Amino acid sequence: MAKYIALRLGQSIFVLFGLSLLIFFIARVVPGDPARVALGNLATEEQVQKLRAEMHLDRPFAVQYYYWLKSMLRGDLGKSLYTQRPVTTDLRQYIPATLELILFATLISLVFGQVTGVLAGYFRNSWFDNLSRLASYLGVATPSFVVAILLLFIFSQLLKLAPSVGRLPLMVKAPPTVTGFMIIDSLLAGRPDLTLLALKHLVLPAFSLAVIHIAQEGRITRSSLIENVQKDYIIAHEVHGIRPTKLVFKYLLKPSIIPTVTVMGLDFAFLMSNAFLVELVFFWPGFARYAVNAMLSKDLNAIVAVVLVIGVTFALVNLVVDTIITFLDPAIRIQRRGG
Amino acid sequence: MGMTSLLEIRGLHVGFKIFDGLLKVLAGVELAIGEGERVGLVGETGCGKTTTVKSVLRVLPIPPARLDGGEILYRAQDILKMKPREVRHLRRTELTAIFQDPLQALNPVFTVGTQLRDIVLDSLAAAGQRLTRKEITARCVQALAETGMPDPERIMSNYPIQLSGGMRQRVCIAEALIKSAKLLLADEPTTNLDVTIQDQILRKLDELVEEKGMSVLMITHSLGVVMDLTERVYIMYAGTIVEEGRTEELFARPLHPYTQGLMKSVPKLTGEGISKGIAGRIPNYLEPPSGCRFHPRCEHAMPICEEERPPLFSTGVNRRVACFLYQRS
Amino acid sequence: MIAEHGVRIWAALARRRRGLAKGWYKYSRNSLSVLGLVVLVLIGLTAGLAPYIAPYPEHAAAYTNFREAGLPPSKDHLFGTDRVGRDVLSRVIFGYRFSLLLGIVVLSLAVPSGVVLGLLGGYYNGTWIEVLIMRITDVFLAVPPLVLAMSIAAMLTPNLFNAMIAISLSWWPWYCRLVYSVTASLRNQFFVREAELTGASRMHILFKEILPNCFGPIMTKVTLDMGIAILMGASLSFIGLGAQPPTPDLGTMLADGAKRLPSEWWSTIFPALAIVMVILAFNLVGDGLRDVFAVEEV
Repeated sequence: MAKYIALRLGQSIFVLFGLSLLIFFIARVVPGDPARVALGNLATEEQVQKLRAEMHLDRPFAVQYYYWLKSMLRGDLGKSLYTQRPVTTDLRQYIPATLELILFATLISLVFGQVTGVLAGYFRNSWFDNLSRLASYLGVATPSFVVAILLLFIFSQLLKLAPSVGRLPLMVKAPPTVTGFMIIDSLLAGRPDLTLLALKHLVLPAFSLAVIHIAQEGRITRSSLIENVQKDYIIAHEVHGIRPTKLVFKYLLKPSIIPTVTVMGLDFAFLMSNAFLVELVFFWPGFARYAVNAMLSKDLNAIVAVVLVIGVTFALVNLVVDTIITFLDPAIRIQRRGG
Repeated sequence: MGMTSLLEIRGLHVGFKIFDGLLKVLAGVELAIGEGERVGLVGETGCGKTTTVKSVLRVLPIPPARLDGGEILYRAQDILKMKPREVRHLRRTELTAIFQDPLQALNPVFTVGTQLRDIVLDSLAAAGQRLTRKEITARCVQALAETGMPDPERIMSNYPIQLSGGMRQRVCIAEALIKSAKLLLADEPTTNLDVTIQDQILRKLDELVEEKGMSVLMITHSLGVVMDLTERVYIMYAGTIVEEGRTEELFARPLHPYTQGLMKSVPKLTGEGISKGIAGRIPNYLEPPSGCRFHPRCEHAMPICEEERPPLFSTGVNRRVACFLYQRS
Repeated sequence: MIAEHGVRIWAALARRRRGLAKGWYKYSRNSLSVLGLVVLVLIGLTAGLAPYIAPYPEHAAAYTNFREAGLPPSKDHLFGTDRVGRDVLSRVIFGYRFSLLLGIVVLSLAVPSGVVLGLLGGYYNGTWIEVLIMRITDVFLAVPPLVLAMSIAAMLTPNLFNAMIAISLSWWPWYCRLVYSVTASLRNQFFVREAELTGASRMHILFKEILPNCFGPIMTKVTLDMGIAILMGASLSFIGLGAQPPTPDLGTMLADGAKRLPSEWWSTIFPALAIVMVILAFNLVGDGLRDVFAVEEV
C-alpha cells in the first residue's frame, strides 16, 4: 500500500511539472507581450523592458522556466503583478476562505446526497423518488452560477432570509486570523455570535456549490442500493437472521457506498471549478476570486500558482479517495497488494 | 409420511406480477418434512423449486411476487402469517439455508470471520445466551473446520474473492450450520461447482447433517444427488407436485408419466440433461395449461386431464401421484 | 452479376434501416429523451432562423435605446428589456446561436484530435508512442477542465473564438482517454490480429477495424458533452474570459443582468432558464443515446 501511495505521489509530481511547463509554454507562444499586457498601455517602454527582464522574458524559454523552477523549489512563486505582493502571501490569505466554503459544500452534499439516495432507494418509485429524479436532471443541467444567482435572488433579495455577500457583514470586525476558517476563528476568539453570522453567510454559497452533487450522489447511491438489495448475499444475511439495522447500515451500505466514493474525486474537481463562479456571485473573498482577478489581469505568476495549487489539491483528493476505496473494497486492496 | 411434520406446505400458490400479466408459478404445492427426515425436491430449472424455498424462508420479493393462497406450517405455525420479529426468531433458531451460487451468496466487502461472527452473535441473542469474543471466534473456526476447510483460522480473515468456489461453498455451509438450526433448505448447493468438488462437498454436508440430526430439504435437478442423499422425494413439474414417495421405491417404479420421462432421460452415468427425454418444454406461466399442467406433453393424456386438476392420489404407504391414470373409482 | 450486386446493396440498406428502427425503438422507450430531442430541435431551429424569428434582430448587437431601458415583460417585449433598452428575447434567441456554435466548434476541434491520439495510443500500446501520448494527456487532466480552460483563455485575448480554443484544449484528453481504453482492449482481439496478418494498412486497421467499435461511446459522450461545453462557454463569458459585450452570449447576459437584481429580474432569469433548457435537452438526448448504445458501451 505504501509503495502504491509513493508511486502515485511520484506520478503526481511528474504531472504537476508538466502542468507548469504547459502554462509557461502557452504564455510564451501566445501573441503579445505579457509584460506589456500586465502593465497596460500607459506604461513607458522602459518600465516594460524592466519587467521583461524581471520575468526573464528577454531570455530563451528554457532559461525563463529554469529560473521559475529554481525559486519555486525554494518556496517562492514570484510576485503577483495584480496585488504587488508575493504570490505565496496572497495564497495564504485567500485559500482558507475557499477551503471553508468547499469543505462545507462537500459536507452538505454528502449528508443530503446520502439521505436522499437512501430514501429514494427505500421508497422506490414513490413521489419522493420521482421528485429526486426530477431534481437530479435539473441539478445536473443547472450551472452553479445560475443556482447561485437564483438562490441569491430568492432567499437573500426577495425573502431576506440570508445575507447576500461576503463572509461577515461589512460593519462587523472579523476575529483574529488563526486557522483562516471564520467559523473556527470566531469560536477561538470567544465570539459564538460571529460563528452564527459566518454560518449564515456560508449557507447560500455552499448550497449553490452542493446542489449538483446532492442530486448526482443521491442518484448513484440510490441505484447501487437497489442493485445490491436484490443480491443473493443480502438474502443470505437475512436468512441467517442478521438484524435489520445491521443488515442495512453494515452489510448493505458498505458495498453500496463504493460507487459514490469513486466519483467523489471528480465531484471535488467540479466543486473547485464551480467555486470560481460562486465566489464571484457572492463576493466571497477567497482563492477563486483572487484567481479570476489574476486571470483577468493576465498575472502570469499568479495564474501558474493558482493552477498548481489546484493541481496539487486535485492530486491529493484523488489519492485520498483512492485510499478510501482501497479500504472499502477488498478486491482492489488485494489486487494492489499483489501487483 | 411421519406423524410429526416439522414443515408442512399446504396448497401454496405464488404468482409474479409482471408487465404482461400474472405469472402463476406455484399452483398448489403440497410438501411435508418430518423431524430428522431428509427429503428431496426434484424438477427442471424453472419449475418453481427456488420460489418454494424462498416462500418458506419469507424472502420472496413482494412485489413483484404475490401470495395467492396456501399455508406453510412450521411446527404447526403458519410462517406466512408470522410477524417479521417472529420470522427473524425462526431464522435465528430453527431454519437455515444454503444457496445455489456460492459466488453470489457471500458479501464481497466483509471477511469470512465478520460474516460468521455476526450470525453467531444474533443467534445467540435470540437464544438468550452470551459468549465472549474469543469463544465466538473459536466457534466460527470450528464450524469452518467441520466443513473440511483447510486452515480455518487463516480463512477467517480472508475475503470471499480470495477463496475458490469450493471453499466459498464450504463457508456457506459453515454459515448455515453454525447456528444449530433444525431444518436446512439446500437450494442446488453444488450446481455451480466442479464435478469432483460437488461430490466432496455433498458428502461432507450429508455427514454434518447426519451428525446434527437435522431435517433437510434438498432441492436439485440432479437425480443422482437425490438418490444418494435423501429418504423421500417429491417430483415437481411447473409449480405443482406430481409425485412423491420413498426415494428407492419412486426410482424403482416411477408412476407419473413426467417422472417416467425424467428417469428415461437420465444418461446412465452423468446425471445431466434431464429434459431431453420428454417432448415439449415447461409451459408458459402466463397462461398455464388448464387441468393437469403436464397434459400437453403427456403421452397418456385423457380428456379429463385437460379439464380437471388431478389431486394427489394415494397408491400406497407414503406414496402419492397427481395423475388420473391412478384414480381408483 | 449486376443483379446480385444490387441485391447485396439492398440487403445492406435494409439491415441499416432495421438497425435505425431498432435504435429509435430503444430511444423512444424513454419519453424524457424524446422530449429532450423535441426541445433540442426547436432550439436548433430557433438558433438557425434567429434573424427571421427574433422580434428585434438589431438588438443582438451594440444597440442602445435608453427610453426603453429596463422595461418589464410586456406584449412588445415578452422577456422585457435590458439596462440599455435591448429586447431580452431577441438576445436570448441569438444567444442560442452562439451557444450552439461554441458547442459545435469545441467538439469538432476536440473530438477528432482526441480520437486520433487515443487510437494511436491504444494501438501502439507498450511503445514510446503510447507513453508520450498518455503522459501528455495526464498533464492536461491534472486540473479540472474549467480551470485549465480559464487559465488558457486568460492568456489569450478574451473573446468568443479564443474561449472556444481554450475549451477545446482542455477537452480533447477526455476523448483520448476514452478511445485509448477501447482501443487498448481491442488491440489483441482476433479481428485486429487477422487484419494485421492479411497485410491491411495501419490506417485501415485504425479507422476501419477499431474506430467503428468506439462509435457508441463517442456518440453518447459527444451529446452529453455538448451540454457541458455550452455550460463551460457560458461560465467563461460569465467570468469575463469569454465572449465580450455586446455579443449576445447567454453567460455575458447573465453576468450583466445579475448586477440589476432583484429589480430587473427578467434580464437575468430568462437567460438563466435558457441556459438550463439547452443543457437539460442535451443531457436528456445523451441519456437516450446511452440506452441505444448500451451494449457497446465500455
